[in-house]
Amino acid sequence: MLLFWSEEHVEKWCKDWNLSRGEVIPLDKCCHLAQAWYGPDRREPEWRRRTIDEAQALFAELGFTSEFWRLSS
Amino acid sequence: MVTDQEKMAFDKVVRSHVYDYVMREGLPPTIVETSSALSRLSDDVRTSFQRLADGHILVLQKGSGEVLMANPFSAVPTPFFVKAGGRSYYGNCIWDAMGIPAMLKQDATIEASCGCCSTAMNLRITNGSLEEACGIAHFAIPAAHWWDDIVFN
Repeated sequence: MLLFWSEEHVEKWCKDWNLSRGEVIPLDKCCHLAQAWYGPDRREPEWRRRTIDEAQALFAELGFTSEFWRLSS
Repeated sequence: MVTDQEKMAFDKVVRSHVYDYVMREGLPPTIVETSSALSRLSDDVRTSFQRLADGHILVLQKGSGEVLMANPFSAVPTPFFVKAGGRSYYGNCIWDAMGIPAMLKQDATIEASCGCCSTAMNLRITNGSLEEACGIAHFAIPAAHWWDDIVFN
């Protein structure tokens, strides 16, 4: 997951690396995702990795609902 | 003989130590450091690291078995340099760089650059929110395939 100045820079990067364009999201939305994903304290014994369903529910809550964000194939 | 329950209990202690250490020191602990801190054999720590990696909780360096990623933290320098609470860290990607202040519960400055042209792009996160900034984040790999090659991703 990389940072870019603009859509044009994403397009050029994808072309240079011969990769398909993935999903572009605004930085504030990325920050919301990071806050939610990494908020729980991983030092705590009771912490555990989210299940696929829990992670999917979190994505949905934050508005990541397209096929790109579907975790189970 | 060590039971599965004992292994799981030890893995929780190791995971807690790894995160406590990286949050304090900026880099994850080595096998030797963890072994010393927990008064356990290096081989016990090495196999615990591997179990945590199998569970997608850590990512290990090929060959050495040392921690490469304790997400969101990186053990090696990356283009996502994070300063928070008087310490510095490296994030694995822009999502992880933004995750470091979330995990630390601290304000942070992220010194990053455009993935295309390498122009500097500095971001500031205060009270969990991004201050006004130019730029976008690009996720190249669909979510279902992130762990196919987490280092590239």
